[in-house]
Amino acid sequence: MAGNNSKKMSLNKKQNLIGWFFLAPGVIFIACLSFYPAIKALITSFKTGVGVNMTWTGLSNYIRIFEDKIFIQSIRNCFFYLIIQVPIMLILALILASILNNPRLKFRGIYRTAIFLPCATSLVAYAIIFRTLFANDGYVNLVLVKLGILDSAYNFLTHPFSAKIVIIIALIWRWTGYNMVFYLAGLQNIEYSIYEAAKIDGASPFQIFRKITVPLLKPIILMTAIMSTNGTLQLFDESVNLTKGGPANASVTMSHYIFKKAFEGVTNFGYTSAMSFVIFIMVAILAIIQMKAGDKRD
Amino acid sequence: MKQKILSVLLSAVVVAAMLAGCTSKTEKAATEPASESSETTEEAAAESGEVSETTESGDGTLTVWAWDKSFNIYAMEEAEKIYQKEHPDFSLNIVEVSWDDMQTTLGTILSSGDYSQLPDILLMQDFAFRKYASTYTDFFTDLTDSGIAFDEFAEGKLGMSMVDGKNYGVPFDNGAEVAVYRTDILEQAGYTIDDLTDIDWDRFIEIGKDVLDKTGYSLVSSQAGSSDIIMQMLQSAGGSIWNGDGTPGYVENETLKKCMEVYKELFDTGVMETGNNWDEYIATFTSGKTAGVINGCWILASIESAEEQSGLWAVTNMPSLPGVEGATNYSNQGGSSWGITTNCSDVELAEDFFASTFAGSVELYDTILPGAGALATWIPAADSDVYSEPQEFYGGEAVFELITDFASKVPEFDMGVYYTEANTALATAVTNVCAGGDIDSELQTAEDTVNFDMGN
Repeated sequence: MAGNNSKKMSLNKKQNLIGWFFLAPGVIFIACLSFYPAIKALITSFKTGVGVNMTWTGLSNYIRIFEDKIFIQSIRNCFFYLIIQVPIMLILALILASILNNPRLKFRGIYRTAIFLPCATSLVAYAIIFRTLFANDGYVNLVLVKLGILDSAYNFLTHPFSAKIVIIIALIWRWTGYNMVFYLAGLQNIEYSIYEAAKIDGASPFQIFRKITVPLLKPIILMTAIMSTNGTLQLFDESVNLTKGGPANASVTMSHYIFKKAFEGVTNFGYTSAMSFVIFIMVAILAIIQMKAGDKRD
Repeated sequence: MKQKILSVLLSAVVVAAMLAGCTSKTEKAATEPASESSETTEEAAAESGEVSETTESGDGTLTVWAWDKSFNIYAMEEAEKIYQKEHPDFSLNIVEVSWDDMQTTLGTILSSGDYSQLPDILLMQDFAFRKYASTYTDFFTDLTDSGIAFDEFAEGKLGMSMVDGKNYGVPFDNGAEVAVYRTDILEQAGYTIDDLTDIDWDRFIEIGKDVLDKTGYSLVSSQAGSSDIIMQMLQSAGGSIWNGDGTPGYVENETLKKCMEVYKELFDTGVMETGNNWDEYIATFTSGKTAGVINGCWILASIESAEEQSGLWAVTNMPSLPGVEGATNYSNQGGSSWGITTNCSDVELAEDFFASTFAGSVELYDTILPGAGALATWIPAADSDVYSEPQEFYGGEAVFELITDFASKVPEFDMGVYYTEANTALATAVTNVCAGGDIDSELQTAEDTVNFDMGN
């Protein structure tokens, strides 16, 4: 009996060990490459100084952030992108997904691919293409002038409002397909007979969308909303490559500003680390709010 | 079964791809040092391969970081050849590191405090030189008493790599300001290049309006959201963005205010065309929208890229700021200097190398001028015949001689440690002023921003 018991224990232990063995590489990598630098950055954010000569300063970096007009401007810009771009993009993705989910639609594989394709492009490449499109002598201006909508070319990228709108258009183009794929996957899990039953009962397409598709996709909508919020607050490539944050910081994002502060001027890693943690806190708070608001379990 | 076959096939492809990647890499690694060393150390052929790879001290090899294959790296290679004539054991290991990469790499190395990863010699943009040299006081080797004849360099240029009166860098390329105009378009409007020589900005705007009316061409262009041209005007008048005590001095800076006014007038009258980014800026004059370019002389390479315009351009000096005491027609934009790091394995060798090449060899500058258009800041180089050769692209003008002469007249300019911050703040102010903002209040905002950036 005793021998049998110890054998069982060792088997259990063995399985545990094997489990840890499989987990170990991932855990070690995440710890070394993600957690360790994050903790280091947190420590640095309580220090100040130029280059290597860092001294402890307590919370002064965090207090300083609230006096930094450009950083506050960049927060405003990010929230402008967030509030306008994320809802438009998610609604568009949802509509496209429900259209493309119709099994009777011909060539839907081609449509799906076409809409998903933008997110296979490199962030830098697409940002530069949008910059070229919206240039003074770019394609958009050419079309608008030829169609008689504009009298002369409008310089989209040198006006504060239009520069932001160009970034939003670019973001929608780049990310709608990406979110659509999540919705399509979610829609596969909804029994098609529910839709058929609704149709027999005489529900209009809009009613079906509102009463069946959206509620059943709620967990996925929540996930995409959190991911998009997170992504928008960390927006970097578009700001750097499309507008260079200009004109006069009108379209600069938080990450872009942090990068500029960290590498372009006289470096103060303490202050830039503090700014990154402010973004981190913002993302966390927004995610919690969205989860609390979206997660109404029945 | 089908799936199994597929997965086996796929993994085979992946493995094959990886192997292919490996082999091509090793091949490259095997051929590269060999070809390098065959160029550099001809006599020591037997030792080749191993020598060029090591960066350890005492073997006569120095590692260099620079960023442009056809320009500064080329110049370094030519310098190496010249030095090797008398020192056959000497060789350089030149690594191409783009300026953006260098900034991030230096940021990491310097803030970690472990300097062992630094090269022996590196090229540094002038506007950043003093930032690095004074932030990290043990980054560059002090060259003041190294025997390099610093008094043979243009004064304005030399100041870029000096901190507290000590020399930390050997000046390399010249960024003397040039104004280059299309003579054919000027002619259509009834002007010659002489009408645009030794003038001030008031006269420039007057001519510019006339040219715009008659031909539809703007007379100068700039990059939107950049304050480079303001800085150039400021330097030409001997102005500064800093007060004597190192604090930012934007407000009540009459010279700077005048620069802003001139810029706004250029912008409002349409005499100045703007491009949203660097490519569009270049396109304004290569594609024929703009009849003039005012920038550092390295811009000539971009102008010359439009080969069909050969013979139509002419070089002269820039307009001066009107109504400002000490205003000149000369300024500077860009340029770089060589620095020897404190991690240098053989400082004496590096110093001697510079003393006998970049700071002592007319032959070197004779080679790199026609080869890469690299204009010297080393004054004796201008006596060379190569400089007085007429250039066909500029209608037979001896452009290089002219520019070297300009360079010797450039007023000294204090860029300060916080130049990047100051420049960014000024660019914001300029953009807002062009959009209708008030100059005084925008300058106040800029000063506040820089003050904020400087406080830790």
